Amino acid sequence: MYNKLTQLSFVIGLFFTIVSVILIGNMLVKNEFTALNLYTSITFLVFGIGMMFIKKRKEV
Amino acid sequence: MNLHAADYLVILLYFVFVIAVGFIIKRKIKSSNDFLASSRSIPLWITSLAFISANLGAQEVLGMIASGAKYGIMTVHFYWVGAIFAMVFLGVFMMPFYYGSKARSVPEYLSLRFDEKTRGLNAISFAVMTVFSSGISLYALAKLLEVILNWDFDISIWVAAGIVMIYTFLGGLTSAVYNEVLQFFLIVLGLSPLVVVALHNAGGWENVKQNLQPNLTHAWKYMGDTESNPMGLHWMSLIFGLGFVMSFGYWCTDFLVVQRAMIAKNMRDAQRTPIIAAIPKMLMPLIVVLPGVVAIALMQPALQSSGYSIPSKDGQLDYTMTLPSLIAHYYPSGLLGVGITALIASFMSGMAGNVTAFNAVFTYDIYQPYFVKNKSDHHYLMVGKVITIVGILISIATAYVAKGFNNINDFLQLVFGFVNGPLFATFLLGMFWKRTTGHGAFVGLLSGTLAAALTHGLTVAEGKGGWIAPEFAIKSGMGQAFIVASVSWIVNFTVTILVSLFTKPKKEDELRGLVYSLTEKPKYSGGKWYQRVVPLAVLLLVITILLNLIFF
Repeated sequence: MYNKLTQLSFVIGLFFTIVSVILIGNMLVKNEFTALNLYTSITFLVFGIGMMFIKKRKEV
Repeated sequence: MNLHAADYLVILLYFVFVIAVGFIIKRKIKSSNDFLASSRSIPLWITSLAFISANLGAQEVLGMIASGAKYGIMTVHFYWVGAIFAMVFLGVFMMPFYYGSKARSVPEYLSLRFDEKTRGLNAISFAVMTVFSSGISLYALAKLLEVILNWDFDISIWVAAGIVMIYTFLGGLTSAVYNEVLQFFLIVLGLSPLVVVALHNAGGWENVKQNLQPNLTHAWKYMGDTESNPMGLHWMSLIFGLGFVMSFGYWCTDFLVVQRAMIAKNMRDAQRTPIIAAIPKMLMPLIVVLPGVVAIALMQPALQSSGYSIPSKDGQLDYTMTLPSLIAHYYPSGLLGVGITALIASFMSGMAGNVTAFNAVFTYDIYQPYFVKNKSDHHYLMVGKVITIVGILISIATAYVAKGFNNINDFLQLVFGFVNGPLFATFLLGMFWKRTTGHGAFVGLLSGTLAAALTHGLTVAEGKGGWIAPEFAIKSGMGQAFIVASVSWIVNFTVTILVSLFTKPKKEDELRGLVYSLTEKPKYSGGKWYQRVVPLAVLLLVITILLNLIFF
């Protein structure tokens, strides 16, 4: 896990994935599915997962 | 603007991540070189994004969106005239000297090329500028949070400074660079939805153009006459003042940005860093200029149904609040937290960038050569860490001084302009004319700075300047800044040549690797064309010219 965390792409991907989960959770809790929040959450999720699993050499 | 639990969660998550990055990097910090210069080990994609992020502080983001609202599409000149050409020049022509000379900083290059007094002058002025810039950034962050969120000014200052201190103290330059890249994605992804929704609300770009005066939607068409464009500038003063003197002076000599290229793994990556960075830089007006133009269009009679307006202050539009007001108007709970986090991130990252440049220059160019030489590496690592804390504390003090004296920001920007304006002449002559001497560089630099102060003292624009005698009136403050920079550059260039002709130059053997005519040019064979420096640079220049033509 430590090796993964030394990859900046993984850290950035993890951050945006968690942000997208917060945005989706917020919509579910409030039951307000605004298009802007929905599309942004999906974009962040796709970007986050993409960055997490992108193959890169160890960066630090 | 009211934040909800989800918004606070996003902000908290960002704070946790930046501190975690500091702890992760800490395990790799073994020497002063790791802490202050990242041991030249950072991959190209990170150095490139850090290079552009070092210039993407919140003052830049807020300022450019404000300029977009005030001056319209002409603001793109700060990118397509005032950045790309200089970044390409840095990558193709100047990086071989910075990187190849093994200098750890820009002032250290000056000591190798010229002498200690030129290095000392540059190092001290740069160190003072960076630490005060950091303080101004901190003040602006606390002020913004106080105005838009009613957060306590003191708490904002100490929390933001404390977090920056933790991750820069732990991980040094690498930690700052990593967080700059995270900040880049936060700004781009966090503000992109705003551009889309605001532009959609305005009925698309064609509708924006129809609702605005033509001189707000053309970059060059109205620049033949200073009276007919909102900046009050002639195209010649723009090209020389911004496109040459200020742009090259900043992008090619400011250690804060050049440092990001100097930590690349090898010469080829160091050269490609500013060139790759120029690609997102070229597209950045979509994020930081377009929203301002759209904001002013949304206030026109035909689009007033949008319900948006830029806040007013003292009866005039407060353009600085354009971005926060757009975020408050369009972003729902959750995304609002992302937008605010992007702003906080850019302020903190701007501060961290300044502090890491400050500690490197102080340790390498002031402490080591002038105060304590020949100590162990551990000693300089400890000094670098202590200076990081000192830099943050001075920043906090500056933030409080700025709170008490509103004009300090204008004053400091003015002094920075006096120092930075002429600097590129010193580097241009130093790198491309082997006859340039240390005495010539030093006297030229002082003369250029003095000329900048005199020009400002004799010209008046928007009530500023004219402190010697208000002899010449200039329409805009921006025009005045370009003229001051241009005069200082010409004086430095001329004086450096004259003094060099009457003083003894260094021997050619001492200048190898430091001057263009005495340095073997880097040759790269293999690799695809888009991985090579020159073809990539040419392509970027062609696209930049095309963009200028499209928005002519």
